[in-house]
Amino acid sequence: MPQARDIASAIPGKAPAKIGADALFKWFTIIAALVVPIIMAGIFWELLSLSWLALKTFGWKFFISEAWNPVTQNFGAASSIFGTVVSTLIAMLLAVPMSIVIALFLVELAPPRISKVVGSLIELLAAIPSIIYGMWGLFVFAPFMATYVQPFLGQYLGFLPLFQGPPMGIGMLTAGIILAFMVLPFITAICRDVFALVPAVLKESGYGVGATTWEVTYKITIPYGVVGVLGGIFLGLGRALGETMAVTFVIGNSHRISASLFAPGNTIASALANEFAEATDPLFISSLIALGLVLFIFTFFVQVVSQLMLRRMYRGWSIKV
Amino acid sequence: MIPRPATGRRIVNLLVSVAASLAALSGIFILLWITLMLAYKGLPALNLGFFLNMPTPPMVPGGGLANAILGTLLLTVLATFMAVPIGLLSGICLGEFGQQSRLADFCRFTANVLTGMPSIIVGIFVYGLLVLTIGNFSGLAGAVALAIIMLPVVARTTEDMLRLVPDPLREAALAMGAPRWRVTLSIVFRAARTGIMTGILLGVARVSGETAPLLFTALNSPYMISSLFHPMPNLTVTIYNYAMSPYADWQQLAWGASLLITAAVLALNLLARFVFGEKKP
Amino acid sequence: MTATQPKEKYPNASLIKSAEIAEVIREQKPQTAAKISTRNLSFFYGEHQALFDNNLDIATNRATAIIGPSGCGKSTHIRVYNRIFELYGDQRATGEVLLDGQNILTQAIDLLELRRRVGMIFQKPTPFPMSIFDNIAFGLKLHYKLNKSETADRVEDALRKAAIWEEVKDFLHKPGTALSGGQQQRLCIARAIVVEPEVLLMDEPCSAIDPIATNKIEELIHELKSHYTIAIVTHNMQQAARVSDYTAFFFEGRIIEFGNTKQIFTNPAVKQTEEYITGRFG
Repeated sequence: MPQARDIASAIPGKAPAKIGADALFKWFTIIAALVVPIIMAGIFWELLSLSWLALKTFGWKFFISEAWNPVTQNFGAASSIFGTVVSTLIAMLLAVPMSIVIALFLVELAPPRISKVVGSLIELLAAIPSIIYGMWGLFVFAPFMATYVQPFLGQYLGFLPLFQGPPMGIGMLTAGIILAFMVLPFITAICRDVFALVPAVLKESGYGVGATTWEVTYKITIPYGVVGVLGGIFLGLGRALGETMAVTFVIGNSHRISASLFAPGNTIASALANEFAEATDPLFISSLIALGLVLFIFTFFVQVVSQLMLRRMYRGWSIKV
Repeated sequence: MIPRPATGRRIVNLLVSVAASLAALSGIFILLWITLMLAYKGLPALNLGFFLNMPTPPMVPGGGLANAILGTLLLTVLATFMAVPIGLLSGICLGEFGQQSRLADFCRFTANVLTGMPSIIVGIFVYGLLVLTIGNFSGLAGAVALAIIMLPVVARTTEDMLRLVPDPLREAALAMGAPRWRVTLSIVFRAARTGIMTGILLGVARVSGETAPLLFTALNSPYMISSLFHPMPNLTVTIYNYAMSPYADWQQLAWGASLLITAAVLALNLLARFVFGEKKP
Repeated sequence: MTATQPKEKYPNASLIKSAEIAEVIREQKPQTAAKISTRNLSFFYGEHQALFDNNLDIATNRATAIIGPSGCGKSTHIRVYNRIFELYGDQRATGEVLLDGQNILTQAIDLLELRRRVGMIFQKPTPFPMSIFDNIAFGLKLHYKLNKSETADRVEDALRKAAIWEEVKDFLHKPGTALSGGQQQRLCIARAIVVEPEVLLMDEPCSAIDPIATNKIEELIHELKSHYTIAIVTHNMQQAARVSDYTAFFFEGRIIEFGNTKQIFTNPAVKQTEEYITGRFG
């Protein structure tokens, strides 16, 4: 196939000017393609240089300090990192099993027509802008949590420190649940691809020894496509880590580490969105951007892992990506 | 050896099937909950004044978001004009020239990673790149940030769509003596154009609802758009500011703006899916 | 009428009406008791009908070969026996398939138990994404409650029966995909027989395997058929002649001829059968 694409240069008797135009065109496209890697490097460079002041001032303690005091000029990333990890964890705990069973529903259980409609609707969840999840979360979902879900959890699981405290609606748990619905379509889409790409004859072999749909999915389909499923999970994880507006609306924006999921907290992204406008002091701005650097490094690694896994899966099945 | 009854296994299977259906339903339920709530809370705000009037201070009736609507349109259009040409060209590089090349592989990989980068990070980048350099928040910076978010989406879709064009078509055109760039631009592109349009539409849909990067770049403004080098009013940051305010009339406007932006984004998605998505090459 | 029906009776086989075909088949039931009997089995892929009123008896503890040109419905036919076709919403079967006299096409049938009783080997070897041991233990654990050593015994026993134990006994923990194609297929046979089925369906089990491995599998089929009822779909005429006791010739969704394998291959009653066997079409 690549030979076919180089026919142009092999055609004899071409005017030299035209070959020049072709080379020029090719170089043009290569330069355009390099824009993305250059931006990527630029992002890293900007983040590093803008957060230098904070990193120099606080040293490595920046990453483990819980302090966040604009008045005394003392900043640390611990509460934001904690909040990012906890809200993402809640989101993944909910979204991963849900995505897997939704993909199971779409590929194995639902009749094709229903599967198509339901699949499209689930995909539309990803199209709704983050800020809309925030609006809905703050004005509709958080009051719902405060009135129904949190009192219920408090009553039956209140012996756990996780579910103690006043049911305010906003807080870690609410943010995690909304995040779950935001990353769900991404993981579902990948799992759906994976399930659909597992060879039919392998599934038939499973059914052939008398396994149920769930047994075939759990023991054969998922292990077969495990790299892809993990890639999808990491993709969702990356999304959840950096989701900004929805979380900013509902998490409560407090720089305190709390054991209770009902308590307000903050994430790196929410701290950035919430406090950047009021940050005028250079050290404050630099500390915020240092948070951004942490977020960049987190998501960068998660995305790289995810892409490597997805690539391995598609390559293994000789599908070009 | 007597086989054991499969009752337990059947029950597990049934439970998982029910859970799967419920999970799918819950996803749809959330989608409906959000969209219906937007319609319910947002429709009353969408009168003529909403589209034509300028913002007013809180508690002063008759305020609209004419400037923000215009600003969001302008930002999106500008971003599209920046991202699409570069995106198309790099898509060509990856799809037409870079099948086996390491460099293309690297660019493709980075594009995928950039697609998954939090948009707020892009915001900080452009803040450092343009806002600090120029000295103030500006519409231009906002458009650049949105363009960066859009770029990898356009590039990757273009590449995918170009790859779907069968090789014999290229060979036929090349065999007629057409130069490579003509073949790509007028033959291959034409064959892949609906797919590429889908990619561009999805890119536009994605950035038109973005908020976080604008907080660091275009910011917001209660005034009419005066220049690209000043803060640019826009719908999404307005939603954020108004929703967080304690004033009922501002919150009302935020709901209206939310409805508007969601309707636009969903319409773009559906357009991409059903009008252009039908006939991919 | 005996099995050695002279073919002159049907000089113009392509014009035979289905009623007459049914007559041929009735005359030529296997002498052994039938494990599976299909009665007026028709099959549909959506609107398209693929099988037309098939009547066929599969003899107990014998191998029955199903031959015919591509697309004649051979695979479709045996895929009804374990109802694997039901995975696809637009496929359906009408008529009866009697397994030990019980119609398996009714909803009352326990599908999981049916598939334990009727095992299937596919065209391509399909090792599950797990270790060799787990490949075999998978089905076993589904259907039987066994402790660890019992499971290990059963797995070994199945691998021995499938004539692959000696080759894999030292690396049972390795993934099933690490084996060669022929070994994989014998692994799949072991996987099918470990759950103690009564019938083995083989859908062109050697078509993706090299000749030497094919040889081994044919020998295996020879040994297995004293314990299991085997229905084997094959493209390979010699294979059908070597391994089977009875042969059914399918053409365009109909059973044209059924009989003793020796008779089918030496003295077919219908002209089409002869033409196919001698390689004039298909």
